[in-house]
Amino acid sequence: MRHMVVKGEAAEAADRQAQLLRGCLDMCLLALLAAEPAHGYQLVRRLDKAGFGTVSYGTVYPLITRLHRLGLVANAMQPSPNGPPRKVYRLTDTGHDRLSLWREQWTQFASVVNETLAVRPLKSGDDHEHVDAGR
Amino acid sequence: MSTSTPAVDHLLAAADREWRALGIHRRDRATLAADLRSELDAATADGIDPAELLGTDPTEFALRIAEEAGVQRIPPRYGQVLGVASAGAVLSLIVGYILVIGLHQAFVAAFDLPRDVRVPVWLAAGVFYGGVAAVVVAGAVLAVRIALRDVPRIRHTATRMTLLLPPTIAAAIAAAAAFGWALDFPLTPLAIGTEAAIVLAAFFAATALARRKSVTAAG
Repeated sequence: MRHMVVKGEAAEAADRQAQLLRGCLDMCLLALLAAEPAHGYQLVRRLDKAGFGTVSYGTVYPLITRLHRLGLVANAMQPSPNGPPRKVYRLTDTGHDRLSLWREQWTQFASVVNETLAVRPLKSGDDHEHVDAGR
Repeated sequence: MSTSTPAVDHLLAAADREWRALGIHRRDRATLAADLRSELDAATADGIDPAELLGTDPTEFALRIAEEAGVQRIPPRYGQVLGVASAGAVLSLIVGYILVIGLHQAFVAAFDLPRDVRVPVWLAAGVFYGGVAAVVVAGAVLAVRIALRDVPRIRHTATRMTLLLPPTIAAAIAAAAAFGWALDFPLTPLAIGTEAAIVLAAFFAATALARRKSVTAAG
């Protein structure tokens, strides 16, 4: 029974993590590419290394395709010591501009969220209706 | 010639099937496939299983790439095409019936056939069923071509219907006749219903196939 509860909590936490990631993964990919150009599944490894856990290639590759369509990333074939040439993605100038905007927006948003979360909950009994002593 | 491994070719074939079913233009399919192939080839060279990379559902992966790439899709609209083709066929049958009745009376009044002229049964049946089939095909194709003129690739669909429907309906009529013959042509509702269902199923299948071919061969 306890095992099932723990399993359920883990699944819920994973769902929550996926939801949170959905809103910021494109920005994180831009940031990783701004740091250093990379090919598709290399980004998966970098996300893992950055602490996001395992984000599937099936999530990352379509997202890169979108960023490419929006002109935020460009690609170029680069020779590889082992195997065929790799398609390496890098940020375009538009991508750098967009990343700055998104970063600023995220910082403001995260600070609002952090402040909201920092509000301490009322102690039990504090939410009773105030009684005027003079009455 | 492809230098990819069979696993990569297999995954790309699955993705291409999905893209074709979505009605994606051939040129866009080629671009999507080339991009994906270079990724999968590189992964394979690094010792990564390409099937593992794409996950358990490569068709879902292909769908997501197509959506994110913003490629143009041609919606198949099977329901609409089948509905209009059926309506056109029924309408042309009614018009054809009225015309035949009118013409029959006009011919009877105009010509007097000698009494010794005997029309073979197979010829009469062939002319009757052939005439009905021709009217159905003409009505269905014209209805699709005219009523759905603003739907992408509808001209190709109508052309393919013209090519596919006659042999399919002929084969279906033959199958229905064979079914009736095998049971000694019973006039029960079940037998007649089955024969009609065979022909209707063939009509729907050929129409849907014509639409599918015209959408998936886009470009």
